[in-house]
Amino acid sequence: MQLTLRGRNVREKDQSNQRLLAIIPARNEAATVGEIVRRVRAVVKGDILVVNDASDDATSAQARLAGATVVDLPFQLGAWGAAQTGLRYAKRNGFDIALTLDADGQHHPEELPALLEGWRCSGAHVAIGTFPARLSAAKRLAWQYFRLLTGIGVQDFTSGLRVYDRRAISVLASRKASLLDYQDLGVLMLLRKKGLRLHEVPTVMSPRRTGGSRVFSSWLMVARYMLHTTVLCFAQFGARGRIAPARRGARA
Amino acid sequence: MSAVLTAALIGIAMAGAIFYLVRRDHLHGSYALWWLAVAAAALLLGVFPQAIDWLGRVTGIAYAPVLPIIIGLAMILLRMLKMDIDRSRSERQLRRLTQKLGIIEQELMQARAMQRPAAIAEPTAPRTKTAQVIPLPKSGDA
Repeated sequence: MQLTLRGRNVREKDQSNQRLLAIIPARNEAATVGEIVRRVRAVVKGDILVVNDASDDATSAQARLAGATVVDLPFQLGAWGAAQTGLRYAKRNGFDIALTLDADGQHHPEELPALLEGWRCSGAHVAIGTFPARLSAAKRLAWQYFRLLTGIGVQDFTSGLRVYDRRAISVLASRKASLLDYQDLGVLMLLRKKGLRLHEVPTVMSPRRTGGSRVFSSWLMVARYMLHTTVLCFAQFGARGRIAPARRGARA
Repeated sequence: MSAVLTAALIGIAMAGAIFYLVRRDHLHGSYALWWLAVAAAALLLGVFPQAIDWLGRVTGIAYAPVLPIIIGLAMILLRMLKMDIDRSRSERQLRRLTQKLGIIEQELMQARAMQRPAAIAEPTAPRTKTAQVIPLPKSGDA
């Protein structure tokens, strides 16, 4: 406890010197990525990195035009593969804070300062921006199941709106995290296994403008996802319950 | 007699094929060892099928011919598991390599972009250096 408090004080003191990287994984988001980059730059002081996950459209050019640094992946690695690329970039270039958000406009960049503030106050290593109201009944049921299975008391596992500190960046940039396919449970379980604390910050999100959720698009996909994640939980079994995540608002 | 001959022929042919393919050196280290062991087993069981009966008696299995099938199947399953483990490792390496390639490419672009204005600022320095001409010997010279 002492240690965390001291860590937190140090963090607050050095806040101005900390380098922040906003990571935006994008695949075929040419219509929105430029606007998102501009809006992020308007509210957050730091570098902006767009990881172009082998898009077929002008995502890369639009992001560059908006002033972001762009990493182009030669072939598709998926949402987590792209986000991890950003985290590896952050580690390589010595950033202290990394935040991730989607390029499709469902996360509002204007919510970022509140998310960062919530993260700072909580003293947790990772903050997750959640929007409980957007969860459908099916998702709620699925999350209840995974909460039971993993013991991670998070409202929304899949939210890609997150803040990571240096330790979290280091853990997630490692080889261990490279075989994960989604950025949800596997990532959270890995973070917990390493003893990092999570904190949830309620935010406002919009429904996706283009296309539906990749995971919850059809029943077959849902079944596949549930099975995949259950197996992942099984593989991670034994790491359970060592560190409880910071409860919402408990330390704010 | 003919059954023994058939078994021997199959065993020798299989072992010979494996030996030939391993000798062509397309296999990586431990894989070659595995396949040589398979070839040796095929040769042994083909030429001495009575070894199976002996093995059946030793292990207490009444119907001995099922034994090589069970062992073979188990070996194949283990082999497949090992293959998937290797594939997972390759997949991890491929993903990390892809990520690194993307990052390095970005750094290269950035470095080039930074170099370009410097080259414009002092354009004379590298340009004035005339290329050194080294006369190449012609075919008739020597």
